[in-house]
Amino acid sequence: MFFGFFRRKKKDRGSRKEAKDRLQAIVAGRRHSVPVREVIPAEVFKNSEQDVVKQIKSYVAERFMVNEENVRVQFEEHNGYVVIITNVVFH
Amino acid sequence: MAKVYVVTSGKGGVGKTTITANIGCALASKGEKVCLIDADIGLKNLDITLGLENRIVHTILDVVNKKVAASEALVRHKQLKGLFLLAASQIATKEMLSPEDMKRIVGELYGKFDYILIDSPAGIERGFRNAIASAEKAIVVTTPELPAITDADRVIGLLENAGMVEENIRLIINRFKPQMVKRGDMLTKEDIQENLSIDLLGIIPDSEDVIVATNKGIPVVLNGNQGHGIARVFENIALRIKGELISVEKDLQTEAGKGIIEFFKKLFSRN
Repeated sequence: MFFGFFRRKKKDRGSRKEAKDRLQAIVAGRRHSVPVREVIPAEVFKNSEQDVVKQIKSYVAERFMVNEENVRVQFEEHNGYVVIITNVVFH
Repeated sequence: MAKVYVVTSGKGGVGKTTITANIGCALASKGEKVCLIDADIGLKNLDITLGLENRIVHTILDVVNKKVAASEALVRHKQLKGLFLLAASQIATKEMLSPEDMKRIVGELYGKFDYILIDSPAGIERGFRNAIASAEKAIVVTTPELPAITDADRVIGLLENAGMVEENIRLIINRFKPQMVKRGDMLTKEDIQENLSIDLLGIIPDSEDVIVATNKGIPVVLNGNQGHGIARVFENIALRIKGELISVEKDLQTEAGKGIIEFFKKLFSRN
């Protein structure tokens, strides 16, 4: 029992090994990304982008009673998805 | 023509802003003309770290809205004549700035500086996209903990997807604790580097001096510490950025022998 106490203490020491194993497991394959152009052909994507920008500009300008030039619409392609950002400038 | 760096991490609170401020000061104190851009719109901190919060007249948003030119919005540092800051706006959101805006702003400043350092916000969304848009090189900051390292890995992947080559992405390990590594309770620099697979730009040991310096609004590099301790580490990093070959082991040597000095300091301290 006396020696068992020290053995247990030694076994508990140092969390580095556990952290290293977990890090390797998490990091493996993590950097893989899916470009949107793998899902939608580039031409279709570009045409859709122009159509969507036009429609959002028109709709937002009408709803907020501002000129279409005051509505900024931007498309961003992130890892496998598209983000559409709209800014309305009132002044 | 400036070399344009983004300082990024993924995870918040790992020390990006402190590192940006100190590398900027270290480069400027070596005679380089440096511009720091705070891209953390809405949560600006770089002006506070540099002690310039009361000098801000125009922000990056004024440049985006074309109220002033980028060079007119810059604030010169009090001590370092070659160090300038383009501050972020606190009342704006990251969505009010676009990657194209950032490219235009950096383009305006490109010919006027030797180095442009962009302090990226945490996260991988819009603010991050803005910050990396015009950068040629990246400094990825992590601490030696799993959440920060795995986020750094994600950011490295996104930088590569954005077209940045691996040679232009370098790693800084912040708040490193050699004593914990010795005890086997912290990942070593080799463990981290092996998993992230990018070159190491520096290792910054955990230091109370950084907190004291930030309290005063004077980056640790300028807080009477030049050439010593943690300031020396930032100076080493600045020299590596300039292309000098200095072993990263030197960063840890600044901590060697500190134990015995601290022991005697505590022994003779009145508090």
